[in-house]
Amino acid sequence: MDSDPIRHLITPGLGSLFLFSVIGGVFLLLSGDDSFSDLATQMMINTVVVLGLQIYIGNTGILSFGHIGFGAISGYAFAIFAVSPSRKLIQIPNAPLGLAEIDLTPFQSGIAAIAITLVIAIIVGLALSRSGARSGSVAAVVITLALLFVVHEVATNWIDLTRGGKTGLSFSPFGGNTLQGSYPIILLLFAAIAVARLFKETRAGRLAQAAREDDLVARAMGINPAVQQMIALLLSVAVVAAGSAMRVYEIGSISPRLFFFDYTLLTLTMLIVGGRYSVTGAVAGVLVITAGKELTRNLAELDVDGFNWFFRDGLTDIFLGAAMLGFMIMRPAGLLGDWEFDHWLLRRFKGAKSPVPVSKPTIMTSAQLKADSVSVRFGGFIALDDAALTAKGGEVVGLIGPNGAGKTTLLNVITGLVQSDNGTVLIGSNSLTGLTPIKIARAGLARTFQNIRLFPALSVGENVEVIRLVAHRHRQGKEMPSTDSLLVKAGLWDQKEWRASELDYGNGRRLELARAAAAGPDFLLLDEPTSGMSDSESIDMIAQVRTMAELIGAGVVVIDHDLNFITGICDRVYVLDQGRVIAEGSPAEISNNPLVLAAYLGEKA
Amino acid sequence: MTELIQQIIDGLGRGGIYALLALGIAVIFGVMHLINFAHGELITVSAYSSYWLFSIGLDWWLIAPIIVVVALVTAVIIEFVAFRWVRGAPDFTMLMTSFGVHFLVQALFVMYVSANFRQFPRPEWIFATFRVGQLNLEIYDLTVIVITLLTLLATYLLLQRTMFGISLRAAAEDFDTARLMGIRSNRVIRSAFVLSGVLAGIAAVFWLMRSGQAGPTAGLSPMLKGVLAALIGGLGSLSGAVLGGFVLGLVEVLLISRLPSSIAGLTDGIVFLLIALLFVFRPQGLISVKHVERV
Repeated sequence: MDSDPIRHLITPGLGSLFLFSVIGGVFLLLSGDDSFSDLATQMMINTVVVLGLQIYIGNTGILSFGHIGFGAISGYAFAIFAVSPSRKLIQIPNAPLGLAEIDLTPFQSGIAAIAITLVIAIIVGLALSRSGARSGSVAAVVITLALLFVVHEVATNWIDLTRGGKTGLSFSPFGGNTLQGSYPIILLLFAAIAVARLFKETRAGRLAQAAREDDLVARAMGINPAVQQMIALLLSVAVVAAGSAMRVYEIGSISPRLFFFDYTLLTLTMLIVGGRYSVTGAVAGVLVITAGKELTRNLAELDVDGFNWFFRDGLTDIFLGAAMLGFMIMRPAGLLGDWEFDHWLLRRFKGAKSPVPVSKPTIMTSAQLKADSVSVRFGGFIALDDAALTAKGGEVVGLIGPNGAGKTTLLNVITGLVQSDNGTVLIGSNSLTGLTPIKIARAGLARTFQNIRLFPALSVGENVEVIRLVAHRHRQGKEMPSTDSLLVKAGLWDQKEWRASELDYGNGRRLELARAAAAGPDFLLLDEPTSGMSDSESIDMIAQVRTMAELIGAGVVVIDHDLNFITGICDRVYVLDQGRVIAEGSPAEISNNPLVLAAYLGEKA
Repeated sequence: MTELIQQIIDGLGRGGIYALLALGIAVIFGVMHLINFAHGELITVSAYSSYWLFSIGLDWWLIAPIIVVVALVTAVIIEFVAFRWVRGAPDFTMLMTSFGVHFLVQALFVMYVSANFRQFPRPEWIFATFRVGQLNLEIYDLTVIVITLLTLLATYLLLQRTMFGISLRAAAEDFDTARLMGIRSNRVIRSAFVLSGVLAGIAAVFWLMRSGQAGPTAGLSPMLKGVLAALIGGLGSLSGAVLGGFVLGLVEVLLISRLPSSIAGLTDGIVFLLIALLFVFRPQGLISVKHVERV
């Protein structure tokens, strides 16, 4: 996103166009044959719905069973508006609010249905964010399942409005409307592909993906996942709602069964088998599963001696269940993982760029970080007892102490991950006390973690870039080096396109440092950046921390066990023991302090 | 007043079954952090087994213990076929795996038996009542309550007093540490499935005595009730799951008796909605289990 945002969307846009033409071609081919024309229309509609699911589930990682519930809402709203009054007076004469007399065109009904569904999606979205929904969270599963069930039960029982479960509400007594090859559906298909593909590249999409990979880190870096998840939800529900209205129109009637478990299973399987992180994957999933379904359905009718136990009714359901289970066990990322057609295109034709010249250092921050009289107890255990720490711009402050001394806890208090019982944290004149990690990060603190926490499925470049997006909005006063120059500085240029999970330990540490630097902080807080590194790696790390801090004009607070590292890098050192600061001073002073020798170096001295 | 007591007893009877299911789900969640949406399949398999056992002429006294064994074996098979491969996988993968098992088992029954429900006889005493003062008590409810309490007591003793129970609780508390301390993870996980199977088997006997039918989706409702009850209890907590079961049973009975008949058909939906609201306003469940993420 170093270039302007429009240019950034060109290749994904072209990719969508290409994907659309491939899919369109397949459908065209199918609909040429009379026996497949219905199937082609169904596939197009399913593709729209599955892409809707992809926008939410793929980007946020939150498993939703409720999207087909949204589909039911939209489908019913659409049918109730669009069925002609004369048909409605026969089927639902007692509909409330005079709905039986309303007469809208299918297009108007579709818009109204999407609008109504979005209103409900906002409520559900607020509930989801209140429950702390995040990747793989149970709360989200329960809330979305509840939506699916409640909508189903209301549709079944509110006979005045929906005509109940038995017969359903229909457009005409003679079956469906034909949509085959008509413009609305082709346009919708293209719109769904483009929206899903471009959303992945937008700011909201990228931040949502970061939160999907690691919710806690995303927050600690200043991302508020709730906002991005809401945007993803509304977009995805709009797409699902449009697809569902289309589905009802095509079938010509709606009953509660149409949008319940079976359709949820079908669409989810398509998404998961194809690859939920990828738009190309979602489309591929529709093709593969539809093909498999048709194949098994035909196989089920075969009559082969000795195999009749296998070729029989129900084979299709077995296929769906087995596909979902099989992929979860053997290939959880789906067929395509996060492969996108246009990524491939881009890499093929653009070739590798040469490293950019590293930008000039930013002006050093004038702010001071000050934590004062911080106390924390966990139950009966006193983790921090009146601890204090200050750091200035341009300074590297070390924090050492034996295991359990409270070093990480102090860092957690400063960054808002642990609430202190007592004490204040200031940056400049702004109080950070009691703020959420998100706000603290935006106020100018960025951290790394004791056990490396990257966004594993994102590329090395994306790991840095996504945090730069946050800095771009929330750290506007600061002039920031580009993603590329940060990567060059961290020595990760050659690995830019790698997945973060593919990095080795040392490079992982370096990426974490670069990512924290990308946040444009006034202070970098590093939790054991050299743990598990060899001596020579540690020495390299010293240089890297120094140059990185200078480049972004930030002060540094660093926790470490490694004495060589601490004395090599720090201007000042604090020594913590049992939650108290027992000494403070230059590395030389500290290593001669008798209190420190007793507490920390006891055995060695 | 009498009415309320009556309803409470009804609710406890219903809740007892939910408690058994929820406890099984919580045990598995404890050892592998998996919410087993396939727990209901144990009931489905039990239902078809009862149907078949009836058709060869057995009666409830013989069928009941067989059902428990069937549920146990099914639980172990499901673990062996599906869940053992996704141990330690991300939550998303495990959730989808359990749903996958759920759908697959359902599909197998549709394919090899029928999509239609099959009936089998309920015990003749199932709706029999007797009077105590002004109360009309169902023998069934009392049986459920008594057996449930005995089962819970036995489970409690098992968990507190035996080596198996201690390693299971240790694993539920902190799986990695338990492994480091020499607890054999394979064995613990397998025994957790055995335990959850037995509990589900007992629940199945009661459930099937009342429903008297077998169908591919027979396990759906008990699964949802069990999961919801476990969620009310905070998932990680075993006692929470039991409490959650009884709470769910009581809430259902009270709702059914108090909702106007026009929306009584929505009971399940309303219960679901309540649970969703519980999650919105108290994401950690009724009984909060502190789970601190170390950074």
